[in-house]
Amino acid sequence: MLRLALVLIGFVVGGCPEAPQGPRYRGAGHETRQGGGTVVIQHESTVDTLDPHKGWNELATMAVRLCMDGLLDYDHEAQLIPSIAAEMPDVSEDGKTFRLRLREGVRFQSTKALPGGRELVADDVRWSLQRLLHPDTGSAGYAFYTKIVGASEFHAGERDDIPGIRITGDHTIEFELTEADQTFLNALAMPFAYPQAREHYAYHGEEAGKHCTGTGPYVLEAWERGVQLEYRRFADYWDAKASPERLIYMENIDRRVASLRFRNGELAAIHRQNTADYVFYKESELWAPYSTEKPMSNVWGLAMNCELEPFDDVHVRRAVAFAIDREGWSRARGGRLRPLGQLIPETLPGHVEDLEGAQHLDLEKAREEMRLAGHPDGLEEEVTLVLGDGDVARIYGELVQSDLAKIGIRVKLRMLSFAAYLQETGTRNRSQLALSGWNMDFPDPANFYEPLLHTNAIADENSQNRAFYSNPELDAILDEARAETDRQRRAALYEQAAEIVAADAPWAFAFSDVKLETWQPYVRGYDPHPVWSQDYRSIWLDLPRERIR
Amino acid sequence: MTAYLARRALWALFVVSVVVTIVFSIVFAIGDPAATTLGANASPEQIAQFRAQEGLDKSLPRQFASYLGIAPCVRKSSRNYDDGDGFCGLLQLDFGQSYRHKEPVFDVIAARFPRTLLLAFMTLLFELLIGLTLGVLAATRKGSLFDTGFMATAFLGISLPTYVTGPIFLLTFAFLYGWFPVGGYGVDFWDHVYHAVLPAFTLAIVGAATYARVMRSEMVEALRNDYIRTARAKGLSGARVTLRHAFRNALLPVVTMVGLSMAILVSGAIITERVFAWPGMGSLAIEAVLAEDAPIIMGVVLIFSIIVQVANLLADLAVASLDPRIRLQR
Repeated sequence: MLRLALVLIGFVVGGCPEAPQGPRYRGAGHETRQGGGTVVIQHESTVDTLDPHKGWNELATMAVRLCMDGLLDYDHEAQLIPSIAAEMPDVSEDGKTFRLRLREGVRFQSTKALPGGRELVADDVRWSLQRLLHPDTGSAGYAFYTKIVGASEFHAGERDDIPGIRITGDHTIEFELTEADQTFLNALAMPFAYPQAREHYAYHGEEAGKHCTGTGPYVLEAWERGVQLEYRRFADYWDAKASPERLIYMENIDRRVASLRFRNGELAAIHRQNTADYVFYKESELWAPYSTEKPMSNVWGLAMNCELEPFDDVHVRRAVAFAIDREGWSRARGGRLRPLGQLIPETLPGHVEDLEGAQHLDLEKAREEMRLAGHPDGLEEEVTLVLGDGDVARIYGELVQSDLAKIGIRVKLRMLSFAAYLQETGTRNRSQLALSGWNMDFPDPANFYEPLLHTNAIADENSQNRAFYSNPELDAILDEARAETDRQRRAALYEQAAEIVAADAPWAFAFSDVKLETWQPYVRGYDPHPVWSQDYRSIWLDLPRERIR
Repeated sequence: MTAYLARRALWALFVVSVVVTIVFSIVFAIGDPAATTLGANASPEQIAQFRAQEGLDKSLPRQFASYLGIAPCVRKSSRNYDDGDGFCGLLQLDFGQSYRHKEPVFDVIAARFPRTLLLAFMTLLFELLIGLTLGVLAATRKGSLFDTGFMATAFLGISLPTYVTGPIFLLTFAFLYGWFPVGGYGVDFWDHVYHAVLPAFTLAIVGAATYARVMRSEMVEALRNDYIRTARAKGLSGARVTLRHAFRNALLPVVTMVGLSMAILVSGAIITERVFAWPGMGSLAIEAVLAEDAPIIMGVVLIFSIIVQVANLLADLAVASLDPRIRLQR
């Protein structure tokens, strides 16, 4: 018996095959788009709902975008483009009225709720926005649309209609706003505004979020919650790009398992890795032709509470901004971040190349600012840094401690769960310093400046402006920029805002995350999108694949 | 017997109530489910609306009374809200609605529970098959090299946590050899069973080693008894003596362990489910804690504590029915 056990152990350990270092399969070599095949993709979390009015996270958005389309979309430069709108909306001179013409022949999918499908018309757009804004829907996204005339009153239950949404024809619709707002088009591109078929909600009722009846490239066939969503190509889709016949979106797959499956050829692509796998893919020459690493559209840094000592003194804030060694942080994280000295990440409009006064490492200047603040030998009191929990947060916390020690600021770390962190940093007069981040809702500078630094975003509780920074001059510029219809003038206003913020330093900006994505050689046409995570809508499969390892 | 069952049921109810009260206090008093659910981008207005919708703006005792179903409902999102006049708590079998999944807690748990149950049954099967076989073999070869080697291996098996063995098995038997799928759940029943083999085996190692050690010592004890000597003197074969006489009597402590094991397996496969991407109750519990999905956390805790109570009771009843010397207390 013992001998048998030893033989077995010897077989398993000694005869262990070598792990494949590169792709196991390669494509057939087609150069033009091919149809057919099954794409299998994954995420480590689970989709909560397919009701676009209720879901507000990366994962739900990804699942929704496979079966639904927006009126507007973004190209790979993060610029707005028409999607099921026939062209970009016509905007009135005062910037308050938006006229939109829908593409003709766009059809809702044939589902149980809508047998045979039907054509999308303007009234579907109106009905969808009305449902979004209805108080009973309880959508967290309604706030993006309250500038439509009558929307706030409708949401408050004070009126039954929204006069600012007008149907002017079967395929034309008009929106009137209470004031000019250049971010309204971005709001129309958000999944909250994706046109819905009312039949879907009438048929499924409370269960509507478990199904999908959209105009998108794939029809949802089955969804075993927590396991996988199965889609089939929508044959009547208006855009020819959807090519694979089936798409399976696996949920709940741990990063390590995902990586093994991917290397086994079971997954089409992976987009998040643990540190060991990140290093493996980044350094692998065999995977290099099928990988890309891009900065993400987010910002991380230190939010300094401008209402609390010592950060109520602009010189202390500037000293911190000059003391942060952004390149050093990047080295410490193995290149998994992109140093950033201003609010807007480099992927987005509003980022100013060669910004004069962009925050950067300069210890001499940092010490000079400390001297101007009356602390030439540093601060006597320890400063508390509030940050989330986890190993990565701890690394950043220790980097802050190390950087600020050089200018005489001792930092104590206070690591909290995400919920406790939000509560602590969003409450007035509570936390001095917080490691904060922001992921965009849409790619417009307004979506960074206004929630993070506008006076209107300050609240006693759940304040989005976690630096509690208030500057009437900046507020005026941001208000003007939001309404400004002239692109160049708007860009100039945001450049002005960038300079003010870099100099006033309510935040010491530090970095944007970097995302490494890798796909199989037989997966073609994939180009990571700057706005949408895991956007596989336009890929095609170069089949039959051939096993090479 | 009826009195005993009633007393045990009351005790179980008391234990479950205490667990529910403590967990409710922790989950709803600490942190902010509204902020976590809506994310950092949500405005104070949206958070306030969410709180009002879910009754989180009410006092903790008021929320708890509503959760139990002994006071009118505070959750406007509930079907039973009825303008604040309805009841929507445990007494009405309303476990609430998941903040994240936007569907009844009961439905979310009902979808996950069978998967965990399948994993638990397969694990138990492996534990018993491996553990009892090795235990019996070691006992009948007491003092031999096999016995010594087995004891050392069992010690190692008990010491190895699943977060160590799981990834090793996954890498070796799934990725390198390709004998099993690399995690996941599969698409039909037999595929589910196939996908469950490796996680079940991982989970079974600790249990099998424990069963084997217990079985070995019980068998060694049983084989020393006079009735064994008598059976051998009567000319019965070694296998018949071992299996028919010694094994049956050595089984009693194992039955008690099975009940507890089942409870632990159903509620404790959290890490293994995560490692093997098995979408059961363990994964659900982790997701719920990370997302601060309070209704799901409460639902999972409630189910786990009920299972532990029921499993304990069943184990006691099984032991009583197997051993006539044991009588349940009146």
